[in-house]
Amino acid sequence: MIRKSIVSLSLALAMAVGTAAASAEELLIGAHMPLTGSLARSGQTFTEGMQIAVRQFNERSDKYKFKVEVIDDESTPAKAVSAVEKLVNDGAVAVIGGYGSNIIGPASAASNNLGKVYITAGAVSDELTARGLKTFFRINNNAGYQRGVENLVAELKPSAVSIIASTREAPALLAKGLEQSLAEKGVKVTVHSFDPAITDFKPIINKVKLRDKADMIVMSAYENDYVGIIRAAKVLKPDVKLIVGVWSLATPKMYSEFPDLMNNVVGTSFVPFPVEVNDPEGKRFADLYREVYNKDIEYLATLSFVETTILLEAISRAAEAGTLDKGGLPDEMRKTDRQTLLGRVKFDETGDNPFFSLSMGQHRDGKIVLVSPQANANGSIVYPGLPW
Amino acid sequence: MIELVLQAIFSGILVGSVYALVALGLAIAFGTMRIINLAHGELVLLAAYTAYFVETNTGLNPYAAIPLALVLVGGLSAVLFLMINRIREHRELNSLILTFAVGIIITNAILLAFASDVRTTTSPLLQDAVSIGPLFAMNGEVVAFAVSLLLMGGLWWWLKGSWYGQAVRAVSSNRDAARLMGINPVRTEYVAFIAAGVLASVAGVALYTMSVVQPSIGHAFTVKAFIVTVLAGVGSIPGVFLGAILLGVTEALTVTLASSALQELAGMALFLLVLFFLPTGLFGARARRG
Amino acid sequence: MSSHVPSVSRPSSWPSSIVFVGIALVLAALPLAAGAGNYFLGLLISALILAGISLAWALLGNLGGMVSFGHAAFFGVGSYASALLSAKLGLPVLLSVPLAGVIAVGASLLMIPALRLSGPYFALAILAYSQIFRILATELSWLTGGAAGFQAIPQLPTVLGLDLASRSGSYVLLVVVVALCALVYALVRRSLVGTALRAIADSEDATRVVGVNSMLLKAWMLALSAFITGVFGALNAHIIGFLEPDYAFSGVWSVLPIIAAIFGGYRTTFGPIGGAVIIYLFDQVVAKSIIAVGHQILLGFLLAAMILLAPNGLLGLAERFLKGRRDAEA
Repeated sequence: MIRKSIVSLSLALAMAVGTAAASAEELLIGAHMPLTGSLARSGQTFTEGMQIAVRQFNERSDKYKFKVEVIDDESTPAKAVSAVEKLVNDGAVAVIGGYGSNIIGPASAASNNLGKVYITAGAVSDELTARGLKTFFRINNNAGYQRGVENLVAELKPSAVSIIASTREAPALLAKGLEQSLAEKGVKVTVHSFDPAITDFKPIINKVKLRDKADMIVMSAYENDYVGIIRAAKVLKPDVKLIVGVWSLATPKMYSEFPDLMNNVVGTSFVPFPVEVNDPEGKRFADLYREVYNKDIEYLATLSFVETTILLEAISRAAEAGTLDKGGLPDEMRKTDRQTLLGRVKFDETGDNPFFSLSMGQHRDGKIVLVSPQANANGSIVYPGLPW
Repeated sequence: MIELVLQAIFSGILVGSVYALVALGLAIAFGTMRIINLAHGELVLLAAYTAYFVETNTGLNPYAAIPLALVLVGGLSAVLFLMINRIREHRELNSLILTFAVGIIITNAILLAFASDVRTTTSPLLQDAVSIGPLFAMNGEVVAFAVSLLLMGGLWWWLKGSWYGQAVRAVSSNRDAARLMGINPVRTEYVAFIAAGVLASVAGVALYTMSVVQPSIGHAFTVKAFIVTVLAGVGSIPGVFLGAILLGVTEALTVTLASSALQELAGMALFLLVLFFLPTGLFGARARRG
Repeated sequence: MSSHVPSVSRPSSWPSSIVFVGIALVLAALPLAAGAGNYFLGLLISALILAGISLAWALLGNLGGMVSFGHAAFFGVGSYASALLSAKLGLPVLLSVPLAGVIAVGASLLMIPALRLSGPYFALAILAYSQIFRILATELSWLTGGAAGFQAIPQLPTVLGLDLASRSGSYVLLVVVVALCALVYALVRRSLVGTALRAIADSEDATRVVGVNSMLLKAWMLALSAFITGVFGALNAHIIGFLEPDYAFSGVWSVLPIIAAIFGGYRTTFGPIGGAVIIYLFDQVVAKSIIAVGHQILLGFLLAAMILLAPNGLLGLAERFLKGRRDAEA
């Protein structure tokens, strides 16, 4: 709490100083995030990445300074809709959405009704982009995550893969897609879906060990599940060659918190760690993040950093062109086409980012090495490679 | 196949022993006072976070946090009793709301103090694997199992041997008769609540060493604990232990033989079956029908 | 100072009810008259949905003498039922909503064995049902869409020129439905059935002797409570337009209504409604503006204070206050 207040205080100070110095035009953006409940961790990390993006943008920009108002949506659709309405009421020119398709769906519809641009990095369901909303944008999608894992599988050619998937929305969706596409490629796939309440994964791992005889474990889940699964695997030591996960796994934070579990584990990633110097934006982000929050950048923070940066740039372009109050922001968003920490971002008609595709990074003694696809790799994979 | 089932039973027993620790605290308070402490899971969670706090700040083994947890959680449990004891009207219902409110307060206080990150022990010693023949476990789980057995033995001895322990049993089985025999039921309930706090403290620390904790999971412990209490029937320590083991093994076997997505379903179905068809629980002596 | 707190469980006399109804109607019309924005109406809509479940819960608690921890079961079944009936079978929404209530009653029939259980055992048995339903909704993905959720839920229609899908339209609809439910509740309470039920609550054995079938009456109350909860679940589904098992069967739908009912005074008709509105607005408007993360801690403190200081709820507190003044004047 104290740390949080210091952060917001310093942000406020920075903004106050900036405003006074340049007498720039101040604009408000809104965000709703799950700050309490079981997804609170995701929401807080998103918020951190967003705050840094705003700060970094304000450092660079003389003409427009941004402020952000964040509301806790408590992972409840009705509260997210209320939040969008309050944010727009308070003068937000655009809204950044929280986590989970069930939240994003109604909230982005409300935002669309109010004519405000809504961008998210936390909802991967294909139904969302099928609605034809004019103001809805997202930078990531299920297909991108699936491609990341598929590329890795295609390069390593395991004969059998076991997917351990949470029954929550996004992990279940990914597991379903992967099961289908890997089976089509002739890989033997077994899916073990588990209720999010489960904490002891040994019985599942034992099935993987004795029955599936898999070469690779793919985890489609969240941080607490990753920890449980890898721990159980470490105890039972199934004869697999690699443990792979998706979001929020190949991050410096996971390694610093669970060093005994993470070595050689592979997860979706976009930047190697330590961040390579040839990307000044990423480097500045990592430094600033460390300075403010005293920890290393992580997956969700990076996602929200990118979405926020893109949004702020589009808003300033629209403001510059004088179309911001005239509903010109959606068009300006569609003009976005730039390289980011996530790779190329460009929105199609539905607001989706078809270029979203992830690299896979491997934990290597505190570093994260990009190992797949070949084009983005900065090192070769340790395979077989296990945390034990 | 046989290897799978054996490992599932073994894992289930280890997990069940910690369910038992969590449940005993709830059961002892429920037994004497006839109220469900809905904040019990949060008390356990608070103890787990105490272990996290001690481990990260001192580098000691999480079990070194037990004294601090005893003070914090035991104290809070005592305060909770004093508040419940002030309730005069509709005690059963109002105490539910009061303890629920305290649960909300604890959960959010933990969220404010420790953020919502996933926490678990980083001690390599506790995380290492140990194998007994063809069966595997984490050291932390085996230690938790031993601690659970020890504490249950201690509790049993206390209830049988000490004056207060006997008073707790007397009040549990018949409050009016106990009063006639010169036992002060209110003071006895107070003692039972503190004992529940002690059990929650150890349970929380044990959980931290073998599982992962987050601020939002407190109430799930309360529900598990109540399921175990029902399976056991009121007033039987070995019953609680066996009920907890039964729940743990049922869950693990469901994962092994059917699907891991059905684990919670199996636990709930077991709970309902026992409720409907075994009015005294598996090992209890008293009916629970109105 | 009177030594005896009056029992609030006795139905209040007609004139005071009329005063309450009047006050409630004026309060309900106020936001529309004042031209409240979408944000505020949205909050009120959520609060009224809570109020409806709260009323249903209090009906079961007050008339049936049963405390339920699992009203989310009926809420979830109702929301999925109406969403599926209207989206997959193409039924009109105004028909699928009451049908969803009926299906929720069907779900309550499964719970009849639990009626024999006493106090906390009944409460947790219902909780177990709601968990089982949640898992079933996740597993029956061919029907419900599973964890990925169910999105193409038709909106509320336009009736007599009033677009029920708009904020103000939904608000008016919910005020009407909550008022109807309150009326039903009040009527049941005044009827012979209500008298019999209160007798059961006082002494079940005695009433059994004089020939009241308590099980049957309790089952009726459970069914009525399930129906009301199912209807509100259905309305919520059409208003929100998205369902997934974790949301539809969330513990929130079990817990918040209890808090609201107790807070307002669960032995009165208006207590649960007022309690729901106050609790929801307090948590969302006041508490959130004080503490962004973890604002529920304030709700916790408020509740704890309420139970310790005014265990009969706000209406109980008001009644005690009025009574005290009258005593003082006399």
